[in-house]
Amino acid sequence: MDRFAKYHPLVNFFYFALVIAFSMALRHPVSQGISLLCAVCYAAQTEGKRAVLFSLKWCLPIMLLTALMNPAFSHEGVTILLYFPTGNPLTLESILYGLSAGVLLSTVMLWFLSFNRVITSDKFIYLFGRIIPAMSLVLSMTLRFIPKCKAQLELTVDAQKSIGRDMTQGSLLHRTKLAVTVLSIMVTWTLENAIESADSMKSRGYGLKGRTAFSIYRFDERDKLALLFLTFCGFYLLCGMLVSAFGFRYFPSIRYVGLNTVTLSFQFVYLILCMMPVVLNGAEERKWKAIHSKM
Amino acid sequence: MKRFFTLILTLSLLFSLCACQGNFSKADLKEPIAIGEDGTVAQQLLTQIKEENAICVFTGESNGLHYEWTVFGSDISAPTEINLGLQVTKTAEGDIQLTLLQPKAFGFSAPLSVFLDTEWTAQSATAYDGDKAVAAVSLTGSKTTVLNLTLDGSVGTLVIRPDPLPQSDGAEDSSVSDTSGDPAADADTSATPENSDGKDKYHTDPIPEGKPKPAEPEDQEVNTATAYTCTFSIECSTILNNLPQLDEDKLEMVPSGGVILPATTVTFYEGESVFDVLQRVCRENGIHMESSWTPMYNSAYIEGIHNLYEFDCGSLSGWMYRVNGWYPNYGCSRYQLQDGDTVEWRYTCDLGNDVGGKNLF
Repeated sequence: MDRFAKYHPLVNFFYFALVIAFSMALRHPVSQGISLLCAVCYAAQTEGKRAVLFSLKWCLPIMLLTALMNPAFSHEGVTILLYFPTGNPLTLESILYGLSAGVLLSTVMLWFLSFNRVITSDKFIYLFGRIIPAMSLVLSMTLRFIPKCKAQLELTVDAQKSIGRDMTQGSLLHRTKLAVTVLSIMVTWTLENAIESADSMKSRGYGLKGRTAFSIYRFDERDKLALLFLTFCGFYLLCGMLVSAFGFRYFPSIRYVGLNTVTLSFQFVYLILCMMPVVLNGAEERKWKAIHSKM
Repeated sequence: MKRFFTLILTLSLLFSLCACQGNFSKADLKEPIAIGEDGTVAQQLLTQIKEENAICVFTGESNGLHYEWTVFGSDISAPTEINLGLQVTKTAEGDIQLTLLQPKAFGFSAPLSVFLDTEWTAQSATAYDGDKAVAAVSLTGSKTTVLNLTLDGSVGTLVIRPDPLPQSDGAEDSSVSDTSGDPAADADTSATPENSDGKDKYHTDPIPEGKPKPAEPEDQEVNTATAYTCTFSIECSTILNNLPQLDEDKLEMVPSGGVILPATTVTFYEGESVFDVLQRVCRENGIHMESSWTPMYNSAYIEGIHNLYEFDCGSLSGWMYRVNGWYPNYGCSRYQLQDGDTVEWRYTCDLGNDVGGKNLF
């Protein structure tokens, strides 16, 4: 049950734009931790087991990989731990920077996992169809393309199998030949499909002036409040960035802004911004259960 | 509900304003401060420099010559009122005489740069108090010479005299004939045929007459049985004269006086290149150094020493090396050291023009 996804698309999009932008801009470990925690919480709340599996299977290795890869290429930093065979130093700062980059990468990946589910292509078209018609159509077509292509591939492989071209048997050369045939079929289908979609949208007058699009979205009082809240959070965090309340520097030595009342207030606002959908969904569930028990 | 939001909004504004005020209440130490007529600097200002751990530049002028003090907050132990006034005069012999208005020692090491209106041909100079040498002076500057020295407790009148050039031509010739007598060196010269444009296969312009030819690192064998010594130093005094250009995060990496490694005698083995020795010296002294191998020039490229990297002080900055007063026009892995060589690693902020390597680019 995702109540946040039922808000107006503008609210949804604004939320993700803010959260993803701040996740990339704020390099303070506390902010990074907040963002990662909230991304995991939200994904786990709406996707359940799948999100946890995703974070374990993809995010953890990415974090470790970047933490190991960064010091192999960057040797800046004052704390020299040991020396590589090339004579360049391995520094603590570059390891920590790599770790931070890994956390950033997996946080943004997790946010996009939720983004893809909440901002469906109809919401995207609704938001951007009038401002950037061509771009939003291309985007939603591209996003739709991957699952569509996967289904068509399965269909093609099955059809080929039924006429005696089984890709799973035979010599390597034979199998490669069949695979190339399937690839050629797929490429043809893709091109044809793209042209067909474009033609069909054109024939419907997509993107023409004065043309309206059907939508079931209403901008309610709760959306207004949510938007106001998001604007306030965005403004407050921007102020925080301007006074460098999130300051954290890795090179050449680690220097950071300590946690005091002012900086903590910025971190707290960031936390409630990131936690917004989780809190909304939790409140909704509690309300539902409360009604249920009264009956 | 709306009232609640307005309340939060005003509170947030107040918060951010409070945070802003903290930043603007103090005097700006990033801009150079002009020294007044009498040269005195208040104790309060030094206290502020110490508290902010800032690097502050004081500028003054005497007899038409500009001079700069670079005061490091980390060096000041007890702030007192000091006098940074200076009288710069040229003596009849062409030396520079400095008369400090400060009656007693500063209590901290004070790097001083004097901008001359002429160019000195010397590679380095020394400051003398009477007959006693008190400080080594490094020379920078592109068209006119800048004298950089650090005064540690010496006051009164100092005379800066250029040092004689490190080696006469005759001595260099003999060292070259030494290497050409070596069969390995002969093989090198035959192995690197010159291209039609006069460059060798690693894009090196012809080596000036009397200077050692590059020796390819892959042909060199280090003979640990024969140990030699050379003088090694690493300095970045040009940064002190270009502080506004320096990446702010790197300010703390600039050593006071601009000297990372003072001239040190180091032992090396026959067949080792400048790069080999630099790597070992940095490692032994705990100095950070990053290099990358460049196959095009068949040499290592020094990206940064002491966390001061190329491009950190303007787009024309980086590390250069000088052996016996000459900036080789090839990489440091290809320069084979001889016994008694003097190697200087210097940071340039102007493609070498400010450290006496103007003929290179």
